[in-house]
Amino acid sequence: MKNNQYIKFLQRLVAACMVLSLSACATDLQTRVAGHLTALSKNQTVAILPVETSDPGQNEMAKMFRQGLYANLKQSEFHLLERYVIDGLLKQNKLTNPSTLLTINPMQFGEILGVDAIVFSRINKVERSYFVLHSSIELSVSVQMVDTRSGEILWRAEQTEQDFSGIGKIPTGITTALLAPIQFVTNKFNLSRMTSNMVDKLTVLVKHPNEADSENQFEKPVIAKNATNELKKIEELQQLKAEWQQAMILDGKAGLSDSSENLESNKESLVEITTKTENNSVKKNIMQARSLVQKRKPVESEMPLLFPKKEAKIPINLSQAKTIEPIAVIESKETPLIARSHVGTSPKQLASPKTQLYTIQVGAYKTKAHARKLERSLKSKGYDVFITRNGKNIYRVQVDRFASKEDAIKLAHRIQIKEKLKNFVTRFSGV
Amino acid sequence: MKSWLTDKQNSLLKKLTIFIVLFGMVFGGCGTVDLKVRKNLDHPNIHPNTVAILPFTLAGPTPEGVPVNRLFRECFFNYFSYLGYVDVPLETIDHKLHAAGMKKYKEVLGFSSQKLRDILAVDAVIKGQVLETNNFTGGIHAETSIKAKIEMIDLRTGETLWETEHKESIYSGILSPTVVEIIQDQMDNVKVHQALYKTAEMFSIGIMMKIPDPAEVWQKEIRLPEIKSIETNLKPNQKLKPKDRIYVNLKGDAGLKGSFGIGSWKSNIPLREITPGMYSGSYIVQESDEISSALIVGTLKNAQGLTGKKFYKHGMAFIEKSSLN
Repeated sequence: MKNNQYIKFLQRLVAACMVLSLSACATDLQTRVAGHLTALSKNQTVAILPVETSDPGQNEMAKMFRQGLYANLKQSEFHLLERYVIDGLLKQNKLTNPSTLLTINPMQFGEILGVDAIVFSRINKVERSYFVLHSSIELSVSVQMVDTRSGEILWRAEQTEQDFSGIGKIPTGITTALLAPIQFVTNKFNLSRMTSNMVDKLTVLVKHPNEADSENQFEKPVIAKNATNELKKIEELQQLKAEWQQAMILDGKAGLSDSSENLESNKESLVEITTKTENNSVKKNIMQARSLVQKRKPVESEMPLLFPKKEAKIPINLSQAKTIEPIAVIESKETPLIARSHVGTSPKQLASPKTQLYTIQVGAYKTKAHARKLERSLKSKGYDVFITRNGKNIYRVQVDRFASKEDAIKLAHRIQIKEKLKNFVTRFSGV
Repeated sequence: MKSWLTDKQNSLLKKLTIFIVLFGMVFGGCGTVDLKVRKNLDHPNIHPNTVAILPFTLAGPTPEGVPVNRLFRECFFNYFSYLGYVDVPLETIDHKLHAAGMKKYKEVLGFSSQKLRDILAVDAVIKGQVLETNNFTGGIHAETSIKAKIEMIDLRTGETLWETEHKESIYSGILSPTVVEIIQDQMDNVKVHQALYKTAEMFSIGIMMKIPDPAEVWQKEIRLPEIKSIETNLKPNQKLKPKDRIYVNLKGDAGLKGSFGIGSWKSNIPLREITPGMYSGSYIVQESDEISSALIVGTLKNAQGLTGKKFYKHGMAFIEKSSLN
C-alpha cells in the first residue's frame, strides 16, 4: 500500500516536472507581415537601426540581437544597408540615442539613410532569476519594419522567450541540481544561444513572407503614426495650395496664383501634365484627397513609444511642409456678421502665447510686391489687413485677428462672398 | 603527505578535486575562440575596406554528406556583414573565381595574393578550411562539432591580419545538468543539417566578438550622394489618368545612376543624366496602375551602392480609377 502511494507520488512529481519544463521553456511570438513586404527585392535597401533598450544592462543583449537580425535578414529578399554606414549617418545627423528613433518620421530616415525601409527594435526585458534550485532567463523584444516611402508597417512582431534550469528539468545529480541554476544564469553562452534561437524564430516570416497565412497578415495596410502625421501635414499643405489655386481661378487672378505656387527656388521648367484640371473638379479632388487620408488610420498594432515624452531633435530640416494648420472655412447660409473682439489691439500685443487668436488668410506670395498689392486693395475697402512672413519667406496676407474661431469664420465667409476671394481661417502667429 | 592529512581529510580533498573538475567542465561550456591578431590595425590606412570571403574548403567527409564548408561559409558571411567591412556578395565572388578558371574550392588556397587581388579587386580575403566535423547521437551522449581554421589575408601586402583554429562543439551528455536538456539536445542533434548550422552559427558569433571591427574608422568618411532638388509636374490634389505622364527632374551629384519611384508602388524608373548633375525622366500611367497618395521619391546611387533619396512634397500621385472612387 505504502509502495503504491510512493509510486503515485513519483508519477505526479514527474508529471509536474514535465508540465513545468514544457510551460517554462516557452516562446510567445506574435508576428504580422504586410502583403507589400513581398514587393521588397534586392533593389530595395533596408536599414536595421540601433536597438532601443529600457535599461543600460541590456546593451550587450541589444548588440547580440542586432547582430542576429543582420545575420538572419541577410537571407531575405532585400538588401541590407551596412551597419557602419547606418551608425555613421545617424551620428552625422546627431541621432545617437536609439530611444528617440521611433519618434522620427520614416520618410526622414529615407532621406537620411537613403533606404526603402527601416527596422526599429527594442529589448523590453532581460530578466535573470536565481532561487538556489531554480534559475530562469526571460527575454522580450519588439520589432517593427516600416516602408520609408509610404510609412506602411511591413512587419510587426513581439516575442518573449523563457528558459530555465533547475529541479523542473530533473537534475542528473545533487551537484548539478545546485550548480546548474547558477551556471544557467551566469554563463554568457546561454544568453547568446537564447538570443540566437529567438531571432531565428522571429525572422522566419520576413525571410519567407509568402509563407504567411492569413492570421499572420495585416488585414489592411497600416501606416505608422509618425508617418501619418507627416503625410497629413503634406496633404494639408496641398489642400491649401489647391484651395488657393481654385480661389485664384475664381477670382480671375491667374497671375498671382503663379507666384503663390512658386514656393521653391531651383525650379526647372516642366511640361504640363496632359490632363487639364477642370475648375469644377477641383473641389472633388480635394474631397477625394481627404477621404484617402482618413482611410489610413493607424492601428493599435503599432510599436508604442517606450518613453512617450522623448522626441528626437533633428538638426536638419527635411520637412518642407510645416507649421501651417489651416482650419477649413465652413460653408454657412447665415448672414455674416463682423465680430471684432479686439479693436484697438496691436497684432504684437495680441500674439500672446497664452491666448490663441485666429486670422483669415487671403493670400500667400513669394514676392512681397504681390502681397502689398492685395493688401492695398483690401485696405481701400476698409479691411484690417496686414502681412506676415513665415520661415520659408512666404508673405502671407491676413485679415484681422479674432479670439473666437466662429467669428473669424463668419468674416471669412463674408469676404468670400463679397470680395470673391478664397480664404481660410488659421491660427494667428504674430506679425 | 599521509602524515599531514587524516583519511577523512584525504577523502574530502578527493571529493573537492572532483567537484572543482566538474564545476570547471560545467562552467567552461564551449571554449571561446582564440583569435590571433597578427597585425595592429589601429591606423585607418592599414584597415582593409573591401573583403571577399573565399569558398571554404573541406578536409574530410561530413555527417550525412552535409556540405558543411558551404553552410559554414554562408553563416560566417551573414554574421561578418555586421562588421565594418564592405563585404562582396558570395555569388559575385564565386562567379569571378569561376570566370578566372577555378574549378574546385581547394584550388583557391593555392592562389597568390596578387592573383586574388587581380580577380576580385578587394583589399583582403578570408580563407576558411573546415578541418573536422562531427555529429553523434547515442546513449545519453549527443555532440555536433566543427573544427575550422579561418584567416584574413591583406591582399595589398600578402600579410595575415588575423587567424584562428577553433573547434566549436554543442554537446549534451553526462555533464548536462538536467535530464530534460539531455533529451532535448538529443532530439535536436538528430536533425543533422540544423545541428551543424547551429554549431556554425555559434562558431561565427564567437569569432565575431574577436575580429577587429573598423566600423569607427569608416563612419566619418560616409557620404551619401547628394540630391539638391527634385521637381515634378504633379499639382496638389491632382488626379491622374491612364496615359498621363509624370515628369521628374532631379538635380544632384553628377555621374551617378538616377531613378525615381512613386511611393512604394513603383520603383527604379530610370532617370537620364541630360547635363552633368541634371537628371530627367518620366513615367506614363498605365491602365493597370493602382496608385493612391504616393509621394515621388528621387534616387541617386553611386558605385559603392550608397543611395541618396529625396521626396517631392508639393504633390502626390493618385490615379483616378473606378475602384478607388
